[in-house]
Amino acid sequence: MKRTVCVLCVLALLCLCCPGLGQGMEDPETIVTIVTAPEQTRAERPPCFPDPAEQFIPLPEGENLALGRPVVSGAHTDVYVDRNVNDGKTDTYWESKGFPAEITFDLGGVFHVRTVAVCLNPSSIWEPRIQEIAVLVSTDGEAFTEAAPAEKYGFDAATGNRIRIDFDAAEAAYVRLVFTMNSSSRTGGAQAAEICVFE
Amino acid sequence: MKGKTCCFVLAFCLACLIWVCGPVRAEGPTRLTLYEGPKTMRTSETAAVSVNGYDLFVYDVMVNHEHLWNANTQPVTTPMAYFDFEGRVNVRVRMPGLGSPVESAKVLPLSFGIEPQVEEGTVFFTLTEPGAYTVVFNGNVNQALHLFANPPETDVPDPEDPNVFYIGPGEWVMDAIVLEDNQTLYLSGGAVLHSIISVHNAENVRICGRGLIDGSDYPAWNQPGSYARVPIDLDHSKNVTVEGISLVNSNCWNFNSYSSRNVTVDNVKIISGRQNGDGFTFQSCTDHTVTNCFARTWDDSLVIKNYSGSTRGITFRNVQIWTDLAQSMEIGYETDKGLTLDPEISDVLFEDITVLYNFHKPVISIHNSDDAFVHDITYRNITVENALMQGDNGFNKELIEMTLQNSAWSTVKDEFGSIDSVLIDGLTVLNTADGKVPASRLAGQGEENRITNVTLRNVTVLGAPIRDLKTMKLRFNEYCENIVIE
Repeated sequence: MKRTVCVLCVLALLCLCCPGLGQGMEDPETIVTIVTAPEQTRAERPPCFPDPAEQFIPLPEGENLALGRPVVSGAHTDVYVDRNVNDGKTDTYWESKGFPAEITFDLGGVFHVRTVAVCLNPSSIWEPRIQEIAVLVSTDGEAFTEAAPAEKYGFDAATGNRIRIDFDAAEAAYVRLVFTMNSSSRTGGAQAAEICVFE
Repeated sequence: MKGKTCCFVLAFCLACLIWVCGPVRAEGPTRLTLYEGPKTMRTSETAAVSVNGYDLFVYDVMVNHEHLWNANTQPVTTPMAYFDFEGRVNVRVRMPGLGSPVESAKVLPLSFGIEPQVEEGTVFFTLTEPGAYTVVFNGNVNQALHLFANPPETDVPDPEDPNVFYIGPGEWVMDAIVLEDNQTLYLSGGAVLHSIISVHNAENVRICGRGLIDGSDYPAWNQPGSYARVPIDLDHSKNVTVEGISLVNSNCWNFNSYSSRNVTVDNVKIISGRQNGDGFTFQSCTDHTVTNCFARTWDDSLVIKNYSGSTRGITFRNVQIWTDLAQSMEIGYETDKGLTLDPEISDVLFEDITVLYNFHKPVISIHNSDDAFVHDITYRNITVENALMQGDNGFNKELIEMTLQNSAWSTVKDEFGSIDSVLIDGLTVLNTADGKVPASRLAGQGEENRITNVTLRNVTVLGAPIRDLKTMKLRFNEYCENIVIE
């Protein structure tokens, strides 16, 4: 009997001193909610954000005559050099240091140019802004004539953050854009990720 | 007599049984919410975690065990998991990817008093309160698991509300999300979003949920062809609330707020292992409150600067920090980057902060390296579990550092500011690298540029209360005044 009493006492003490043995490791009654994941084979665009690409301003078909061609401009901001505007990538960009800002492309031959497109990074992180732009053309790189007068163009990620400037066909070996304002509060200069020239 | 004894013992045992089992019945069932990981991802092979017998999806997220700046550093990964609960959960952790059996484990913060059991390589412990828990295995700080036990969600936005963007579980990608006035972004638990969220010139914006924003799809911001993609980026905004989500694998800093006001951050978790991976960083902001958060960072963990105007009314409360690189609670270095008139940083409170580890630079630092007036800064109830500051080449390894000196980040190089009215009330250091009290340093600049009225109170290092500046190893130059310890 003494042994039994001892064993019971030890058990009781264990229960008192180590509640974890009774509570901690025995899982409590649990009401569980499991949030399940959809079937996917790759990361997708969230359905609550429709793809805006369908609303993008279309660019002309045909060769972009400015792509990779020699380009010159005035002073630029930080690392945002002019060669970024015709490297084929919209995640790099040119930013001038102040206004007016000129940027000129050498097309490498004479073409009948009809359209110039100016693109910013299409990401919606680039908030809407307005830039004022004129287009000039030249066959010798010396004498430029106005192909499209200065006009304000709205850039909006909802339409691809791009604008196109259409004008009557003009002979051009050189195309120059002159930027005279940018409404963005984040910069004091002109901005362009890509400038494209089309016949 | 024997019969009476027997009855007494049996009654005693019965009472014990009721005592042991009773509370379980009394507290009611545990409510547990688990989130499947995206079907495109696999749970970690390093760790297996279950709560009350239910397996969690375990993510491998970037951290960095290098404790010196390296522009081309390569992060490693550590396991992380999360769930929501109310009640009591038994956590079981196995670490098959550890390379060696688990023989011991610690659950941090130590102040929670959780004593895990280890049996045959499995770690067991019980949680009764939501919070951030870190398990360190075999005494090796490079072998850790982060476990975020969230409270149940409340006030989940209505997916049908036209002002709500509702992102459900799954893996999602888009370039950027820009939130405008009165909009809410809900990121469900189980969601992994590869994107960034920008709130620019907007007000009444809410970001909430339990999901992750994951920057792993971009190289570190300073690498060729890359750029900074800040997961949460507020600027010139007001009345913004961010709750419940986690930021992992950012390619730069993490939670940025610039010239914004009335921002509330609650239960946001940051784990960061890449270049300039600051945690919560606020520049020229007013009235920001950060509560119940976690930041493991490979740059300053909590940061306040002036970029264009003054800072006022910033509170960090109940935040856990793990600083792999740089400072834990940093004011500076930039205090007048925007060259504004009479810049100030004032009314800043760090309260109930637990620094799990600091491996690099000071835990508490005010580096006024421009010309601002920094004043009314309070640190209350700060616990440093591991003050392991190695500094850079023997410098910047103080526990507390306050300076009025030029630095590589100074914009104003020919004028200096001042620091006044700093209170450190309740500072406990549990462990240091060498078992000694770490040094601290205050350095004013001149007669007009002084550090004044700095009070230390209730300081305990390695179990010993410290009541004099000599024992505190706090040195200061002649341009400091009324520096006292109580």
